[in-house]
Amino acid sequence: MWWLALHLPQLSLEAFSATLAPAQRAGPVALLDAHRIAAVNGAAAERGIRPGFKRATALALAGELLIGQADAARDGQALQAVAHTALAFTPMVVPEGGQAVLLEAQGSLRYFGGPQQLCRRLRDALAPLGHRLRLAGAPTAAGAALLAQWGAAPLDGDPAWGPHSTDLGQLRRLLDGAPVAFLGPAGHEHAAALQGMGLHTLAELRALPRAGLARRFGATLLDTLDRARGDCPDPRQPIVPAPAFDSRLELHARADSTVQVLDGAAVLLARLVAWAQAQQARVGGFTLRMEHERSARPDHAGPPHTELTVELAEPSADPAHLQLLLRERLARCELAAPTLDLRLHCHHLVKRAAPNGELFPSRQGEQEGLTRLLERLRARLGDARVQSLQTQADHRPERAHRLQPVAQLPVSAPAPSLTPPAPALPPAHPALPLHRPAWLLTAPEPLAVRGETPLLDGRPLQLLGGPERIEAGWWDAGGLAMRDYFVAQAADGALVWVFCTRLTTPSGWYLQGRFA
Amino acid sequence: MEAPSASFPPVDGLRPVALPPESLHPALWRASQVGRSAGRTLATGFAALDAELPGGGWPAGVLTELLLAQPGVGEWRLLAPALAALQQGQGGGALSLPRGVLLFEPPAQPGAWALSALGLELRQIVVIEGRPPTAPGRGRPALPGSDMLWALEQTLSSGQAGAVLAWLPARLRGDALRRLQLAAQAHPGPVFLFRELAARLKPSAAPLRLQLGADGPDTLRLQVLKRRGPPSAAPLQLALSPVLTAAQRARAGRPRAVVGAEPATATPAAGMPA
Repeated sequence: MWWLALHLPQLSLEAFSATLAPAQRAGPVALLDAHRIAAVNGAAAERGIRPGFKRATALALAGELLIGQADAARDGQALQAVAHTALAFTPMVVPEGGQAVLLEAQGSLRYFGGPQQLCRRLRDALAPLGHRLRLAGAPTAAGAALLAQWGAAPLDGDPAWGPHSTDLGQLRRLLDGAPVAFLGPAGHEHAAALQGMGLHTLAELRALPRAGLARRFGATLLDTLDRARGDCPDPRQPIVPAPAFDSRLELHARADSTVQVLDGAAVLLARLVAWAQAQQARVGGFTLRMEHERSARPDHAGPPHTELTVELAEPSADPAHLQLLLRERLARCELAAPTLDLRLHCHHLVKRAAPNGELFPSRQGEQEGLTRLLERLRARLGDARVQSLQTQADHRPERAHRLQPVAQLPVSAPAPSLTPPAPALPPAHPALPLHRPAWLLTAPEPLAVRGETPLLDGRPLQLLGGPERIEAGWWDAGGLAMRDYFVAQAADGALVWVFCTRLTTPSGWYLQGRFA
Repeated sequence: MEAPSASFPPVDGLRPVALPPESLHPALWRASQVGRSAGRTLATGFAALDAELPGGGWPAGVLTELLLAQPGVGEWRLLAPALAALQQGQGGGALSLPRGVLLFEPPAQPGAWALSALGLELRQIVVIEGRPPTAPGRGRPALPGSDMLWALEQTLSSGQAGAVLAWLPARLRGDALRRLQLAAQAHPGPVFLFRELAARLKPSAAPLRLQLGADGPDTLRLQVLKRRGPPSAAPLQLALSPVLTAAQRARAGRPRAVVGAEPATATPAAGMPA
């Protein structure tokens, strides 16, 4: 057994700061719990604010101090995201207390190339969540947690790699010097009393008779000590990711613009990706729900919330890509009212093996790139503006083709192309003359007539080909077309497609398209 | 080869060696020859046009400007052979280019039947329309075409599209074109920008500029305005894939109006800084 402990000393402060704008984050920030300062950031510590101060004292030291309320639920969600990310390394991941996550990584050590390499990769994986970390490894779970919390001087001289030991005897020697306050919740609770008795380290605690200690401080303290030293078994229950993802983030300040929303949503997206990757799945679509501030005036009752659904053409577990799509989508959306609260829900999870990466450029990879590009364009311009072209079996030119929103371009399937595959370059001259123009006007343009000749731009058209009679559409209400089509030459020499309506009053000439 | 030897007289009996400039650097060429394109090119399907273009085809990774008075002079039939070759994976040598053909803000609806008759595969064509100009842009008054330029730049710099055909808004600012030209360097295929004829008088970052005009039925008149090489004197006449039968073409008169307009369009100042 080899346990790796991740201790997040600033977890609750970081979970709170994630909802702040970058400028606010740089200033002094403190968290208030039960009317006492519970955690401070670096800028606040510089002003001399320490945990345990009263609110008034802290404000006297720094007037611009940003004070947030500690929220156990918020911390819990942040810790859960860390645990989900850690699931990529080992299935045995256990949240410990409110600030630590334990990993049993004996089985993964060889795969990841040793403890140091594993820790480096773990740090990289956790970087998007933006937490400060302290790592420690030990043969027992409680021992590792204690070492990480203690954060004593690193043994190997590598600051990224905390105190650790792979050997039980070494761990016991190391633990003897550890302060009693870190001995689990019980140690924290009785820290002052133990301190008063002159007991500072675990070695001093262990020297006392066990029966007396158990009577005085309860069995939990000794039990924790035994488990840390490996004297008694310490079974743990691994975390299992929830079947559905639904995470909430309360914004510290109300967000008036979508840019501010995006800051908060980035945190939620990082959690979403951690959750999806813990299940070896990819995200196919998610919904961001923005709860709005209730308007004080009842006559201005706006919608209570706005929902923004992002559907991906190709499921992805790349937070940067998801964020890009959300940013474009948010840029298009207008907030009906200031937003107070964000909620991210994943409604489409794809549990399929991710496609293999490609070493050489291939059709598959190229198609994927194009799909991603189109997805980005769709997010910004709107789904309806990125279209694919299709032919339709209808004689009426305005209905013979259709532009419809592109869902996904077909991956190099055997294409039943209309033209036979040409041996080399397709000939510039297909065997048959073109019948249909390459540009079609959305609505036929009425042409002026002089005598019998239609005019285009005031100059007469010379009819060269035709007539081609098209009569179709009696089955469509208002879609009946009775026309004679002609290929005509305009004054500048270009060929156009015009028609003359039949049996309708008023009859007339119209421009349908141009043979570009 | 006469001019260089005149300007560099022999020194100390050393005879100047007429080195082919390409051997010094692939991007070098003599002003008197048609340049070779350093990048890849895509055969146009018209032998006469290939001979006039540096590198023997449509250049990839740079902008190609096509100036035309109005849509419908024959631009689709001019580009179709090259686009069809690209979609069938035959363009550009050993590694095939991406096959998607993206149309940005076409001036009218592309006729699906005509394009497939021209050999294009419709499933690889994507049409991207900008926001309608009358959109209720309450939040921010978008510049005309700003969305489109953004989309175009994203597409070019992503390098995922095969060929890009864009109909640019009129009165485009010069820096927008330079931006596109920069973005196009990451693009593996050709980029065709369709612009109005008035843009002919303005400088442009595109290294290849062509002016298109109709010249009788099924014939395209193509004037090279700017290329890497000497200015081309006479406009080319390209026979496009026919719409008319031979008998019908015989009936067609010479375009009347064009005869009068010939001096204005056919002889753009050869030394103009295009």
